[in-house]
Amino acid sequence: MENSNSYSPYSSSSVDSTKPSPSESSVNLSLSLTFPSTSSQRETSQDWPPIKPRLRDTLKSLCLRQRRYNTALFVKVYMEGVPIGRKLDLSTFSGYESLLENLSHMFDTSVICGNRDRKHHVLTYQDKDGDWMMVGDIPWDMFLETVRRLKITRPERC
Amino acid sequence: MDRRFPFKVLEHIFSFLDVNEDRNSVSMVCKSWFETERRTRKRVFVGNCYAVSPLKVARRFPKMRSLTLKGKPHFADYNLVPDGWGGYAWPWIEAMAARRPLLEEIRLKRMVVTDECLEKIAASFRDFKSLVLTSCEGFSTDGIAAVASTCRKLRDLELRECIVDDLGGDWLTYFPETSTSLASLDFSCLDSEVKLSDLERLLSRSPNLKSLKLNRSVTLDVLASLLRRAPQLVELGTGSFSDELDPEEISKLTKALSELKQLKSLSGLWDLLPEYIPVLYSVCPRLTSLNLSYATVQMPDLIDLLSRCSKLQKLWVMDLIEDKGLKTVALCCKELRELRVFPSGADLDETDVTLTEQGLVSVSEGCQKLESVLYFCVQFTNAALVSIAKNRPNFRCFRLCVMEPFAPDYRTQQPLDEGFKAIVERCKDLRRLSVSGLLTDKAFEYIGVHAKKLRMLSIAFAGDSDLMLHHLLSGCERLKKLEIRDCPFGDTALLENAAKLETMRSLWMSSCFVSFGACKQLSQKMPRLNVEVIDEHPPKTRPDSSPVERIYIYRTVAGPRQDTPEFVWTIHKNPEVGVSRLSIR
Repeated sequence: MENSNSYSPYSSSSVDSTKPSPSESSVNLSLSLTFPSTSSQRETSQDWPPIKPRLRDTLKSLCLRQRRYNTALFVKVYMEGVPIGRKLDLSTFSGYESLLENLSHMFDTSVICGNRDRKHHVLTYQDKDGDWMMVGDIPWDMFLETVRRLKITRPERC
Repeated sequence: MDRRFPFKVLEHIFSFLDVNEDRNSVSMVCKSWFETERRTRKRVFVGNCYAVSPLKVARRFPKMRSLTLKGKPHFADYNLVPDGWGGYAWPWIEAMAARRPLLEEIRLKRMVVTDECLEKIAASFRDFKSLVLTSCEGFSTDGIAAVASTCRKLRDLELRECIVDDLGGDWLTYFPETSTSLASLDFSCLDSEVKLSDLERLLSRSPNLKSLKLNRSVTLDVLASLLRRAPQLVELGTGSFSDELDPEEISKLTKALSELKQLKSLSGLWDLLPEYIPVLYSVCPRLTSLNLSYATVQMPDLIDLLSRCSKLQKLWVMDLIEDKGLKTVALCCKELRELRVFPSGADLDETDVTLTEQGLVSVSEGCQKLESVLYFCVQFTNAALVSIAKNRPNFRCFRLCVMEPFAPDYRTQQPLDEGFKAIVERCKDLRRLSVSGLLTDKAFEYIGVHAKKLRMLSIAFAGDSDLMLHHLLSGCERLKKLEIRDCPFGDTALLENAAKLETMRSLWMSSCFVSFGACKQLSQKMPRLNVEVIDEHPPKTRPDSSPVERIYIYRTVAGPRQDTPEFVWTIHKNPEVGVSRLSIR
């Protein structure tokens, strides 16, 4: 037998021919191939492996999990003066430069970090304590852990 | 001449019967024994709250002081039972409140308990001593407060893995200042913070407190102060174990722990940091029970802890212990009786965690008293299972969860049939078994033939055909609970072995090939069974051949239940289908 994830759960000789075959049935039989055998499917499955909810929740927040490189980190982005915001997945950026580049594109203006400048919009963020801070002061990794939302301020404002 | 024993003598003899199974046997001998037994039973256990009516139970046991009830099927623990299915405690509480006001203890598992229930308990049982709720839901901290404030003689208040609507830590303040009776308090499943001063005061005035399980919000810096007020503790569940402490605080904590001379059981330890392990050294030599399920400590740090626990009988740990750690356990923990190894999910991150079948083999070799195992592992081999069975024929509970469904023996690519055969052949006292990995009908034939004492069996992703179920139902004489998910059969075996189902507490099958027609037939054939079809997304029309999502069958003398939600179908909802003989007493 080949060692693959596509095992048929039953041999054809012993299947009762009057039983509904998977293609006929109207219910998604989670048997066989749609089963969470790949790791990402196992992560999102709520009922396999059979562990209790509290343990499952605890495992999700385990420190040893290097999740930040695998999951999306969507935050809201507002431009001052514009009521409708955008949402951005920060995990797709490698650092501040690519973030600024993308924001400048998205809002069709030039966005920078740090020093206020009459011409440019400055990027600020709200951290997990609720405080509004200037983007760019802390290492990118640390920033990802603490950022909750972004705001692009009007020039001359900060 | 009247040859019967005088009632008083019989009563006295029966008072020595502790085990309810014995009492059940005794009550079936004859009418007078039934009467005598029922009048002397103090601890009542009902394994399925729908198997019998609360009124009947209340009437039968006038001396009842303790009631234990179980509600939802076991697979509800793993999200397989939709919300709203049932398992309501209210009818029981109401019935007991009216008829058995001297009830002192209520223990509920997997039931829906509301604040109303808790308030009723508080108001109705004047000598109420003990409330233990395991995996229950439906209540808030207000209900807890009601029990705490009103039950003057409260001795045990334990919330084990419940889902509670946590409205804040105030509930703790409701224990009256005058109450000193508390012996056991477990609020480990609550999320919100309780005030330190409230907790300190409660501990100071509870000299009988033997078991204390804190929740995660209790930070490490306050633990020493709490422990100083409860040096008599036998069981401790700490809160978080990862907060930063300065050297002086560490020293105080170490001292406080070393003062717990009676401590036998340790749990909690959320996010235990390796640098805090030495703090626990003083309690290790006395520990008989250690629960590291929430301690994210990895190897080799765990060795420092485990090598000091020579008296350990029960160990719950994550797979971070790896094979190396289990080798240490095999060497150092010679008194070990129960081992549970849970999956941390580290293998999914490709973090280097080497837990294989070898770990369990080591422990089975080294720990002569090992009788209960729950082991999660990615894959396994027949050879390992055979070794384990040879080493430890004294297993009573063997639950192996091979997490890769349909995974064969990774060395030989064979199904794990032979491995499980060894287990059931050698372990003659096996009461509980969970199987996994690639298994054919043969495995179940072996189980049917050998596992004569088996009471509970759990199966996932296994088997080839109806033969599998047939082997089990016709072979396992003592089978009481069978739960199956994602196996490819259903109808024929179920209908052929219908009579067997009346000798069991319950059968659960989900994502199998059971057709709606078979469910109807079974219901018609067996009026003393409740056959429940649980479909969250039922099709608009249900032809007889359509498969059902889940079926839950249990024996009952209470007839059909009146509280089924919409998504549960029973034959009683379709009177036109007809039932051969309804027996509702």
